[in-house]
Amino acid sequence: MKLPETSDTIAALATPPGAGALAIIRISGPAAFSTASSFLAPAQRDPEHSAARLLSVKNGPALVDRAVVVFFRAPASYTGDDTVEITCHGSPYIIRTILNLAVKSGARPAEPGEFTLRAFLNGKMDLAQAEAVGELIAAGSAGAHRAAITQAEGGLSAEVRGIRTALAGLLAEIEARLDDSYEEIPALETRAFARRAAAARGKTLSLAAGFGAGRGIRDGVKVVITGAPNSGKSSLLNALLGYDRAMVSRRAGTTRDTLEASLDIDGFSILFTDTAGLNARAASPLEREGIKRAEKAIALADTIVLVKDASVKESPGDRRAERETARLALKGTRLLRVLNKADLLTGKSRRAPGCLLVSAKTGDGLPKFKAALVAEQKKVFRDGAQAVVTSARHFAALSGAAAELAGLEAVLKKNRPPLELAAEHLRGALAALASLLGETTPEEVLGNIFKNFCVGK
Amino acid sequence: MTAFNYPDSFDVLVIGAGHAGCEAALAAARMGARTLLLTQDLDAIGLMPCNPSIGGVGKGQLVREIDALGGEMGKATDLSMLSCHMLNTSKGAAVRSPRAQCDKKMYQAAMKRALEREPNLRVVQDEAARILTKGRKAAGVLTARNTRYNSRTVILTAGTFLRGIIHIGMDSFPGGRYNHPPSNLLSKSLSGLGLKLGRLKTGTPMRLHARGIDFSKCVRQDPDSPAAPFSHFTAEIKNTLLPCWITRTGSATAEVIKAGLHRSPLYSGKIKSTGPRYCPSIEDKVVKFPHHGAHHLFLEPEGFSTEEYYVNGLSTSLPEEVQVAIVRSVPGLEKAEIMRAGYAIEYDYSDPCQLDYTLETRALTGFYMAGQVNGTTGYEEAAGQGLVAGINAALKVSGREPLVLRRDEGYLGVMIDDLVSKGVDEPYRIFTSRAEFRLLLRTDNADLRLAPRGFALGLLDPALKENFEAYRAAAETILAGGKPAKLPPGPWTMEKARATSAIEKIYAMYVQRNRKEAEKMKKFEHLRIPPDFSYASAKALPNEARHKLEKNRPLSLAQAGRIPGITPADVQLLWVLLEKRKGGRP
Repeated sequence: MKLPETSDTIAALATPPGAGALAIIRISGPAAFSTASSFLAPAQRDPEHSAARLLSVKNGPALVDRAVVVFFRAPASYTGDDTVEITCHGSPYIIRTILNLAVKSGARPAEPGEFTLRAFLNGKMDLAQAEAVGELIAAGSAGAHRAAITQAEGGLSAEVRGIRTALAGLLAEIEARLDDSYEEIPALETRAFARRAAAARGKTLSLAAGFGAGRGIRDGVKVVITGAPNSGKSSLLNALLGYDRAMVSRRAGTTRDTLEASLDIDGFSILFTDTAGLNARAASPLEREGIKRAEKAIALADTIVLVKDASVKESPGDRRAERETARLALKGTRLLRVLNKADLLTGKSRRAPGCLLVSAKTGDGLPKFKAALVAEQKKVFRDGAQAVVTSARHFAALSGAAAELAGLEAVLKKNRPPLELAAEHLRGALAALASLLGETTPEEVLGNIFKNFCVGK
Repeated sequence: MTAFNYPDSFDVLVIGAGHAGCEAALAAARMGARTLLLTQDLDAIGLMPCNPSIGGVGKGQLVREIDALGGEMGKATDLSMLSCHMLNTSKGAAVRSPRAQCDKKMYQAAMKRALEREPNLRVVQDEAARILTKGRKAAGVLTARNTRYNSRTVILTAGTFLRGIIHIGMDSFPGGRYNHPPSNLLSKSLSGLGLKLGRLKTGTPMRLHARGIDFSKCVRQDPDSPAAPFSHFTAEIKNTLLPCWITRTGSATAEVIKAGLHRSPLYSGKIKSTGPRYCPSIEDKVVKFPHHGAHHLFLEPEGFSTEEYYVNGLSTSLPEEVQVAIVRSVPGLEKAEIMRAGYAIEYDYSDPCQLDYTLETRALTGFYMAGQVNGTTGYEEAAGQGLVAGINAALKVSGREPLVLRRDEGYLGVMIDDLVSKGVDEPYRIFTSRAEFRLLLRTDNADLRLAPRGFALGLLDPALKENFEAYRAAAETILAGGKPAKLPPGPWTMEKARATSAIEKIYAMYVQRNRKEAEKMKKFEHLRIPPDFSYASAKALPNEARHKLEKNRPLSLAQAGRIPGITPADVQLLWVLLEKRKGGRP
């Protein structure tokens, strides 16, 4: 079970990810100073409180960045614990590398709202602020949850899941034997078992290494633009970007593939995906493929912008787009309804409450639309919050699991390996992966046992 | 007919004298509560209607824990033991566990004697028909004979009796166990209290006459020598132990079963409720594992003075004629005589999520439930719950703090926490894989973990306290590499202190990690959620979490975190809200 931990050292990016020339990484907890010092040069043995200094961030002998570092001694810090704030360059590569260095020297990637929770519990905040703290945790965790599911795309998530399944299977083999009252299950074939454990560890290590090297998961808000054909989705994207990224025409079905583009709004990085219109009567295989990709994009979105044509009555296509969006979107995904072509509005045209009225053509309503896109993020980034850098979480979880699996291998090398200790390591490895994929419960393991072994009388 | 108002009133009234009921009644009485135990049948006290066996992996740990808290199960087992094996000897100490065969009648006699000798306890033969209430509080019990017993608390240990239906082949008839009528009135009374009931199923194999068994075709399994006692307070096992015998089913058995499946109440759809995956019927085993050519059968004597043998591994609800064919298809059992047919039983259980961590129902103050009625299986699981319910009822009437064991303190804690926070969808059995602190929860240290509680509750003999404390100090000293002081005489010996320290030493690194995790959890166990905490006003919590917490009403943040579907973020939020309510700081 995952309970909040308040006595270890946590690290996180304290500025919006993916944008901005500078980024702040915050490390807080009893070992914050030693954690930071392990990759800062020259080493800071007894740093002065609250004084800024320019230091080198080193990954082994390699220089990662020159950063401004401030050390805050407890209790005079944001959280009330020892805290280090590192202001570095805003490149995603540098941010990831520094976070991974912190993880390697013992810090844990912070959960959403964790800095604020500590500040609150350490009496750094007024009790009246409790509600605000609560909102922050709720908003942050919703975002992180989505991030865990949506950001590990490209088969990565499947790979991590595969490791988890393999480990749960290995654990079931051991647990079945430990709990077998009648000792009927044949003894574990240690050599074959060790080979499978080693394979899982190899996979875990190579995945972790990928994240360690700053493998690109793009951090940012994923906004997918969708709607009925010819509602002006691509025009809207072009208008937001300020240049013609997408081809537009009066014909429905002009956009076949999904198009991606990024934009900074108020310091937040927004990754737009323009999709093919969800057309029931797709004319060509190409258009059908486009729709398939659109559906996939919707399922991975943080925010969905549903575009309708303001100049005509609501069409079956609009209703279909609404339905499809509701079906495909993940629970908790934000939905923004936009009525485009406001410039063509006439008296008989519709106005729907809760919809943003914009004109891609004249630019009317665009500033309001942009503000709406980052409103949620702004809420999360109120004082003291932190971004969830997915790659750092993956790195920490996978390295933790790999370390446990190394322990498992050592146990398996013993003469008559003690299975209950092997189980401890497998449980540890699964617990490490829990932050990515959720816990592996005893019920899951038991289910595995009863499926595969004929046990019991 | 007007009710007879029983002249004496009680603090604790226990319904049912099975393994849960006996422990509940004894614990409450020994803690000074005026206790009444109601049973349908005085001759069925402490009956083992399935296998007369106590212990097994996980279960053995439970019995040791019950014993360390002053329970009776371990002692009764030692007195009636007829065979005994230490299990998992090839594996580590944490999963090693004793398992004993008992003389069924001797076990009952030992338990009945213990009940009868308890000064604060009265045992009465009558059937409970209705739980009496006063407002939202339990007030006593009305019996089938229309006698009214007034009691401040009531503990229901109904086993499989609530609307029990027995199946043998396609025949079925009402019964709480073979030859005993079900308690249908009580089932109705529970529904009337607003308790949610469900259906579960379990089963038992046939019993054979020894003269039909060709032991020369079976493998002899000798008992351990010397036999290890279950109880901390038993110096040695005095009975002369008997062997058990092993044979196996073959392809012939599988054929017989397949041919009879259409007459199986399980496979014809007649039985719809879920049985324990851990105790599959032989028809289940053959269907689900067709590639397993053979399934082991253990032939276990039911007593010293009977010819009856229990056929461990042949649980079935097929028709009697198919049962005969099944048995006779097994090598060594060709001439078998079935004395009792195997059967399946379906019964009502009460969703354990409706209980508090003290086993008190949330629907009715002072009303507790323990044992199989809570959806568990096994005598040990039942006894453990009975003990905890009895202790808590006695604590409640004397206005003392309840006893809630943590998951790092014992399998008792693991089991009750699992039941209350997760509920059941099949009869719940304890497994060591359910314990995240498995290396801490061993048979050798059950006393170190729980005897201090036993002494504090007044359930262990205070005269032994000095011996125990010296033992505890000695174990610690040995572990630290020092020379321990001599122990005063008593059940706790230096030899035992050395043995437990040696185990602790082997596990040292891991135990340390377990303890660290346990400490962290403990901190959250201590973050109590007040019983009147209003989740409805906790707007920041997501709806789903709010409903779950409202239904479960965890006592602490740690328990809240263990409810399925409650996220770490929910726990953090709840923490913030609690701090705000307290208006102080942790």
